[in-house]
Amino acid sequence: MLLITNPLNESEYSFPILECIHILAFALSIGTIAIVDFRLLNIGMRHQTPAALLKDTSTWTLVGLVIMIFSGLLLFSSDPDLYYLNWAFLIKITCLLLAIVFNYTIHRKVAQSQEPSSNGKLVASVSLVLWGSVIFGGIFIAFINQGL
Amino acid sequence: MLNIISVFTQWVQGTDLFTALRTSWWVYPIVMSTHLLGIALFGGLILMTNLRLLGLVMTKYSVTDVVAQLRWPKRVGFVIVATCGILMLGSKAEEYSYNIFVWIKLSLLALVFIHGWVFRRSVYYNTAAIDRAPEIPGRVKLAATLSLLLWAGIACAGRGIGYIDPPLSKIHAGIMSPAQPE
Repeated sequence: MLLITNPLNESEYSFPILECIHILAFALSIGTIAIVDFRLLNIGMRHQTPAALLKDTSTWTLVGLVIMIFSGLLLFSSDPDLYYLNWAFLIKITCLLLAIVFNYTIHRKVAQSQEPSSNGKLVASVSLVLWGSVIFGGIFIAFINQGL
Repeated sequence: MLNIISVFTQWVQGTDLFTALRTSWWVYPIVMSTHLLGIALFGGLILMTNLRLLGLVMTKYSVTDVVAQLRWPKRVGFVIVATCGILMLGSKAEEYSYNIFVWIKLSLLALVFIHGWVFRRSVYYNTAAIDRAPEIPGRVKLAATLSLLLWAGIACAGRGIGYIDPPLSKIHAGIMSPAQPE
């Protein structure tokens, strides 16, 4: 039998430390996306346009997303079978892919458009629901019966 | 002293609200998810406030403009995150009173309040003077850096809570994890 050891599983501290990095990174990425969303919903930062806020936050969003994805991949690598068979994980990844595509296509386009439209509120709501689902899915991974 | 704590924590988790929270398999994770979602939203606001104070984002707008606009959203966010936190803490109060990370987290939260009290007049309610200054004063940058470090520490301590096993020999009532769904 071929045994491949993941260096990540050698230390009991590597997983929790990665989780902390993962949490801080998604607070950075989702938090900055949400600032644009709340502006589109006319709730906060009304002195600035959505386009200006998007421009100011997009680098921080991208940095957060990259760190979040890489730390997430490392967490996944600690026990791929466990995650692959977990329905909360599958929902989370589906929502994550949808959220990223949505963020860099429709969300970006609406936030950049100069004239306000009712679409802005819809797009912001979809964005918040998608990112919220990613977080809910992530938490439920640990609370449901595992496939193995 | 310890006896008082254990009597108090057993009473707290024995109340109907916290018993219901603990014995349902899905309410606890929903509260936890809301806590984390709140951290993402609220964390983004804290980050933007402090990065503006450090002169790293939104430099086209005045410090006053950014800090004042984010003040109320931050308060609302804190109430949501803290409410969920208290719900989780109360539902397993006795077990958590033996958890070192709970105490680290509460201590860091106390430091956050001290931080706010110390820098309130010179930084967070003094933004007009910061805007007039030729460059951002060191005290402001110190306040922003400390705030970011404290909140990051609080988030990490929170994650640590889940890694401490309940001390089975010390805790009393039937407070073990609820049965999971088939």
